[in-house]
Amino acid sequence: MKEKTAIQEFVKGIWDENPILVQLLGLCPTLAVTTAAENGLAMGMAATFVLLCSSFLVSMFRKVIPGQVRIAAYIVIIATFVTIADRFLAAFVPDISKSLGPFIPLIIVNCIILGRQEAFASKNGIGRSLLDALGMGLGFTLVLLVLSSIREILGSGTWFGMNIMWESFAEWGVMSQAPGAFITLGCLIAGANWINARRKA
Amino acid sequence: MTEQKPAPEELKKEIKLETTPEKETIKEIDEKPKPDPRRRLFKSDRMTIVAPAPHNRGNKSVPRIMYTVIAALLPAIIISIMLFGTKAMITILVAVFAAMVAEYACNKIMKTGLTIDDGSAILTGILLAMTLPPSFPIARTALGAVVAIVFGKMVFGGLGANIFNPALLGRAFLQASFPVKITTWTLPAFAGVDSVTGATPLGQYFSDGTVTSLKSLLIGNVGGCIGETSAIALLIGGIFLIIIKHADWRIPLSYIGTVFVFSGILWLINPEAFPNPLFMMFSGGLILGAFFMATDMVTSPVTPMGTWIYGIGMGVVLVVIRIWGGLPEGVMYSILFMNGLVPLLNRWTRPKYFGEIQIEKKK
Amino acid sequence: MKSTAKIIIVLTLITVISGAVLAVLDAYTKPRIDAYKNKIRNEAVSQVLPENVKIETINKADQTFYKASKNEEVVGYAFQVSGGGYQSELVLMVGVTADFSKIIAAKILSQVETPGLGTKIENDPSNKEDPSWFVDQFKNLSVAPAITYVKNVKPSKDNEIQAITGATISSAAVVSVLNKGIEKFKAIIQE
Repeated sequence: MKEKTAIQEFVKGIWDENPILVQLLGLCPTLAVTTAAENGLAMGMAATFVLLCSSFLVSMFRKVIPGQVRIAAYIVIIATFVTIADRFLAAFVPDISKSLGPFIPLIIVNCIILGRQEAFASKNGIGRSLLDALGMGLGFTLVLLVLSSIREILGSGTWFGMNIMWESFAEWGVMSQAPGAFITLGCLIAGANWINARRKA
Repeated sequence: MTEQKPAPEELKKEIKLETTPEKETIKEIDEKPKPDPRRRLFKSDRMTIVAPAPHNRGNKSVPRIMYTVIAALLPAIIISIMLFGTKAMITILVAVFAAMVAEYACNKIMKTGLTIDDGSAILTGILLAMTLPPSFPIARTALGAVVAIVFGKMVFGGLGANIFNPALLGRAFLQASFPVKITTWTLPAFAGVDSVTGATPLGQYFSDGTVTSLKSLLIGNVGGCIGETSAIALLIGGIFLIIIKHADWRIPLSYIGTVFVFSGILWLINPEAFPNPLFMMFSGGLILGAFFMATDMVTSPVTPMGTWIYGIGMGVVLVVIRIWGGLPEGVMYSILFMNGLVPLLNRWTRPKYFGEIQIEKKK
Repeated sequence: MKSTAKIIIVLTLITVISGAVLAVLDAYTKPRIDAYKNKIRNEAVSQVLPENVKIETINKADQTFYKASKNEEVVGYAFQVSGGGYQSELVLMVGVTADFSKIIAAKILSQVETPGLGTKIENDPSNKEDPSWFVDQFKNLSVAPAITYVKNVKPSKDNEIQAITGATISSAAVVSVLNKGIEKFKAIIQE
């Protein structure tokens, strides 16, 4: 396999190997918290923070952690950072913490994070691991932001809490509910596949 | 793309190909390239295969069935326009137009060849409009029709590949999106003053126990969706469909029969607490759903046994939703729910072909 | 044998460090989180009780409630009640008069009802002048006999409220949570 350049390592998470659109990982928070753009952004940033810190530590200690217990070690590291993120949100932005509910603690089992440790950080140097984590986190955050923006605009007529639709606009209630999440995500994935198919052709 | 069973002519050709010498085969293939399999799926004059093998080619075609169903809906459409006036007509026209535009756009984007002439989009539009209250806003009617066609039919691959009844899926989307507007009813013009909001017979029953008279339910001068109020008009069309065998008689019989028997048993146990079975049969959208939506050939089972289970399941779900659920009406959800089980029912009730069962050896 | 020792040492180290980090974090963030929770609760308590009263927190029979008194005379109690809504748990703060005959006011602390429908129990955007009309109905509502609801018509009795059109189950859930909660706290407080 050809060695990727540092920039490729970073960029791949945003489109070519996007965690949601291509790898279909971490769909539970993706579907559950994206009712408002603010929540989507906060979730994406919290997950990126955890991913960056965990990748850094896992990559640093990749030669020390014995192979037999690596998953246990990764989970403890991830859980520590998730708890840090959870407590910080609860202490400084309690409103967002309340609306994200149990999904911040659930970042621990987000497959993107454990997946990147196992697939990348445990085999690569610190620099590359950080770039990979940043790219993946950014890709995750961007999709969450787009998804939650579409759902908030159609479902509540607002974007980041601002009224942006015309006066008589009737909110599509379904978009704030679970089916709206599935429909929107399905459309996004279909769109991404369509663009990829055209690029290849 | 899924494999398509070749139509009889092609079957013959293939058999011929196998027997002819190899050189000629190659020549023939070169001369006539096989058509894109997707085109075959969408070619609208061909019947999609909806029965277990063996098959016999009949004279039915998709457009013919669709237009016959539309014709069978005419009495109900005429009655509804008489009852609810131009608002009903506009809603129907908008839904049909939006459905056709959506179908055309999907045809173009998916490069499938045009299927708007097969009548299925028109039928979906009419059925969707008939399940909406007359006062439903036009823009949202159009949205529902687009959702019905795009997410109810085309994303699955077009007519014949959809799991759920498109019109009902569109309505479910509207119900989830605009729960208040879709339950704001207008009473028919000749039931009193024009455009008076009022409850449906079912809504009335479950809020204060008023039972609407059977006569009103049959004629249809009660509040409700555009096309569901007149039981007689719907029955005329429905029975016509059954006589010409475009609808499977087992479905309405088992569906309505189950509702009658199940609610009848409850009524016999306690007539005070439960509605009488005739009221349950003729109120709400049961007749419309049972004859025109549950019988949709694509989304109903193909085996007789499966059809019975399908109908009984819908009846049970409907009574449970109406009596114990949070909604006064459950025709839409009962049909959608059983639609989801149809692939399983088809597999489960597939007839055994000769020699499939091994006779147990005697000890 | 050597690898087993290594596994034990590495995992122990990771968990010990992680524990230490979290202990420090907890010490740092707990006061802020508690302060926020207290602020929210105190705001709710003062909203459901009359103005200018002295509020005491009382713990009795594993339950916490708040006693409001004015000039040494008890004027009301506030407590948190919860129960099942249409989709999730409803949590309300409710204030009642000292004799448990009337609700002073009620406030919804948390609910996850159907957006645009059940959520109207807290905020109804279609009623521009008074988006919180539903909970406001509970102000000065008589609770003896228990609260009931009516649909589509204006309430006629002092213990009646009007349910939200299209969200009867959520409306009924609020009524039921209040009835049960008030009953429960009445027994505890008047014991």
